[in-house]
This record gives sequence, C-alpha cells and structure tokens, in this order.
Amino acid sequence: MITAGKPHPSRWIYLGFVWMTLLLVFVPLATTVWVAFFSNKLVSFPPEGYTVSWFAQALTLEAFRNGFLLSFQVAVGASLVAVCLGVPAALAIARHRFPGRELINTILMSPLMIPAIVAGTAIYIFYIEVQIRSDVQFAATVYGLMLAHTLIAIPWVLRLLVASLSGIDPAIEEASLSLGASRITTFVRVTLPLIRPGITAGVLFGFIASFGDLEKSLLLVGPGRITLPIAMVNYLEYRADPTIMAVATIQVLIIAIALIISDRFVRLGRTF
Amino acid sequence: MTAIETIQAPSDGRVAAGKRGRSLAPYALSGPALVFVSLLLMLPLLMMLRLSFNKYDAAQMYIEAFTFENYVRFFQDEFYRQVLWTTLWISAVTTVFCLVGGLAVAYFMARTTSPFLKRYLIIVIVLPLFMGNVARTAGWIILLNNKGPLNFLLERFNLTDGPIQMLYTSGAVVAGLTSVLLPFMIVTLNSVMNNIDVSLEEASLNLGASPLTTFRRVVLPLLMPGIFAGSILCFILSMNAYATPVLVGGPQFNMMAPTIYKQMTAIMNWPFAAALAFMLISLTVLLTVVSAVLFEGAAKRTGVIR
Repeated sequence: MITAGKPHPSRWIYLGFVWMTLLLVFVPLATTVWVAFFSNKLVSFPPEGYTVSWFAQALTLEAFRNGFLLSFQVAVGASLVAVCLGVPAALAIARHRFPGRELINTILMSPLMIPAIVAGTAIYIFYIEVQIRSDVQFAATVYGLMLAHTLIAIPWVLRLLVASLSGIDPAIEEASLSLGASRITTFVRVTLPLIRPGITAGVLFGFIASFGDLEKSLLLVGPGRITLPIAMVNYLEYRADPTIMAVATIQVLIIAIALIISDRFVRLGRTF
Repeated sequence: MTAIETIQAPSDGRVAAGKRGRSLAPYALSGPALVFVSLLLMLPLLMMLRLSFNKYDAAQMYIEAFTFENYVRFFQDEFYRQVLWTTLWISAVTTVFCLVGGLAVAYFMARTTSPFLKRYLIIVIVLPLFMGNVARTAGWIILLNNKGPLNFLLERFNLTDGPIQMLYTSGAVVAGLTSVLLPFMIVTLNSVMNNIDVSLEEASLNLGASPLTTFRRVVLPLLMPGIFAGSILCFILSMNAYATPVLVGGPQFNMMAPTIYKQMTAIMNWPFAAALAFMLISLTVLLTVVSAVLFEGAAKRTGVIR
C-alpha cells in the first residue's frame, strides 16, 4: 500500500485481515505437518509429546507404499508422453499462424477447464465400452491411468512451452534455415537447446499435476491399484491419526522438492 | 528473406504468416496431441452424453434407448434438487469469501514495499496450488475436530461448556473450500494487479480521496477483469469439489461430485450418473457464459472496458 504521509487507522484492520486470510491458507497445512510428529495415537490437544516414529510406520503400510509407487510410475510415464505430444504441438501454436489455431489450442487446453470428476467419469465409461467391444482392458490398469494422466499433463506442457518459445526470437531459427540447415537439424541443434528449460519445467509440472490428482483417477483405479491421493482419502474417511498426517507430509515434501527444482528453470512467480 | 516477407505480409493481422501460412506443417505438428485429446476426452464426453439418454437396467447396466427420463428424474427427485441447491449455495458463498480475502492479499502483495515479501509471497501462494487438496483438507479435519485445537482453545478460555460440533457442517465445507481455493483467486488477481500503475492511486490520494475511496473508485474498476476471471475459476472448482465435501462434510453431506461417484460405484446406475455429470458440466458452462455476458454488459456501462 502507498504510505501517503499520515498512517490511516483502518490500515491496521486491513493488515490484520490480510494476515488472517494468509493464515486461513497455511494453518491447515501447518497443522497436518505438526500432527505428524505427535506421540499420542489419538489426536488431542495439547500433544503429550513428539516423535518421528509415525513416518517409519507410514512407510510400512502397504496401501501407501503401493500408492506412492503407482502414483510415481504413472506421473513419470504421463509427463514424458505429454512432452512428446506437447513439444510439436507447442511449435505449431507458437511458430505458425494457421486456420483453426485457436480451436486446436482450446481443445489442447481443455483438460484444464473440464471438471475433473466429469472427465474421469467419461473416460471410465469410454474404457468400459472399449473393453466390451474389443476385450482390451484399460480401466483399473496402469496404462489406463497413465493415458488419463497424460491428459492432465498436456495443458501444462503446452502452456510452459508456448511461453518458452515466444521468448525466443524466431530470427535465430530463420538464420539457421537460411544458412542451409534442414528443418530437423534446426530444431535439434537450435530450437531444442533453447527451449530445454521449458521442456524440463513442462515435465516437472506435468509430474506434479499428475502426482496430486484425485478426481480424474477416482473411477480409473482398481483393487490393489490405488494412487496415493486416493489411498489417503480412503484412509482419512475413517481415521485422522498421526500416521496419515505423516503420509501427507511426505507427499507435500515430494511436491515441494519438484516445485523448487522447477523454480530454477521457470520463475514460478512470473509463470502465474 | 523471411524478414522481408514478414514486412510485406498481408495486412490481415497474420504477422509472420509468410509461406508457411498455408503449409500442412502446423497440422502435422499438433496432430498427435489433438488426436490424443479428442480420442481420450472429447469422444468419451460424447459417449457419456449418449449414455445419459439410455434406460437403467439393474441386470445389464443399461438398455439402449433415447429417453429424457434421467434428466426428468433429476429435477423431480427432491433429494437431487437438494444436492444441486447445496452445491450451488456452497460454491457461491465460497466464491464470495475467496474474493474478499483474495482482494486484500493480492492488493497487499502488489503494493508492499518489502522486496523480501514481493519475491517470496507469490511463491508461497503458488506452492499450495500444487500440493493437492488432500493434505490441507486433512489439516482441517484435525482443526475442526471435537478434540481439535479450536475446541481446545474455546474450552480453555471458558467460552463454551463442551466441544462445539464443527466438523461435518456446511460451515466446515465452506471454510475448507475457501482455504483450498484462495490461492487460485490470489494468483489471478495478482496478475492483473501487477499491471495497474501505482501513480493512478497516488493521484487519487494526492487529490484527497481516502485509501478506501481510492481502492473502491480507482483500483476496483481496473481490477474487474481479474475479479471476474478469479470468481469464475473459484466457482467452477467448488462446484466440482470432491475431497473437501467428502472429508470435512461427512457422509451425510451431499454435493454433486461425490454424488456422481456414488452413482457410478455403489448404485451402478450409469445412465443416471452420466446425466448428473452432464448436468454439472452444462450448468458450469452455462453459469460461466451468463456471467461473462452480464459482466461485459456491466463493464461497458460503467466504462471499465470499451
């Protein structure tokens, strides 16, 4: 705010409100992390003491270990496939003007706009219809999940790569072309090295978006194949104890690390 | 070569069209991604729409038909009308709270003189956007519990006799959703706020307007596009929320997203679930379009945009 000479009394109310709002965002997350260290199994306040044993306990629970492995596997696969599809698409959107460009861009960004629970339901119905007709199972398989999660990652890859490409002067590519390099050589030797930070950020954001997804995956998981967020919700519906808070803390840590790494490639503050 | 072509490019606004303008390259490049999204999202959505006109049959899931009975049932059944109503009012209240809190925080972030806050506050706000809402909703379960810190403090200071039931109430759902969605609002408002010239406010203050008047008469009108975009985003996301109503609202609290999931899994009435899902998505789109039209009309009248 501008300090225009004399401080206004309402300024304190305003500042108080700002920090209250920020607390509303952060207190729940802080509570989750805090409770993960409580020594009493039944959560009550104030805590009887502190321990780190719930983290070890969390690692022994099979539902969470498998959930973590599945989520990790799906997120890695989905973000890599999304990059393979997204890099050429981003080149088309950022470097060409052609009829239908807006429409194609809207369709490729649509997984971000269409409500996740609706999309998840539609994909599940689609998988089952395919299975009835061709006997190929997608629902409740790793590949089915990976395909659906690729959908989650594509808009992020596209958004970050288009931003990255529009920051690069096309004249550099044109210089390469006019000096006799083929389009493919130009892409591999000139464009690709220039957009590498964008690609890395695209993979990381695709990973993060897929790793944290709950709603799209709800119907697509099967017995014994449950992603980490769904395993967490299933557990939380019955118990909110320090063990699940430890699991949540680990999940938050993984995502935070991925975000800090991405911040090195694209300034988070400027991407939004 | 290309530079000259660019300069001489047709004046229909397609800068840099050049000779590549009519080539098939962009279609070939975007083709794979386009086919992927169409096949895995557009086609399934159409199939879901078709399924919503089928008849439910307990023995074989559904019978091919073309009937509106699933939609008729939705509007006739008191229970589902109630679910829709709850979803709508919870989303509306959540959006208003997000807007009020978001305005304060976004304004503070844009106008703070501390370089430390300027650099790190936005990162700290962006982080929760990607944390997934399960970890934060878990925190709310603890906070609002009968044995949670809020009830502990209330009893400690003798404000209440016994614990107050806070978990499993609609207030809890609104609080949880507001907390989860606030970062979306703040980030949206912040991006618009950054483009507003400080000197406009300084001029208003110099001419004797109070800070509140300056905010209301100068900043707010300029912020309208951000307010609109942020509110739409928060409203859509809370209309479709799953984790918060399930975990903080409890099993008796029904909103649209959990109801669709229940219809698909526990009740196995797919045509009706498809109709519910289609109602949800079309209602979301309809409200977005209507408010966009209303907003544009209002903005033109007040001269915010020309």
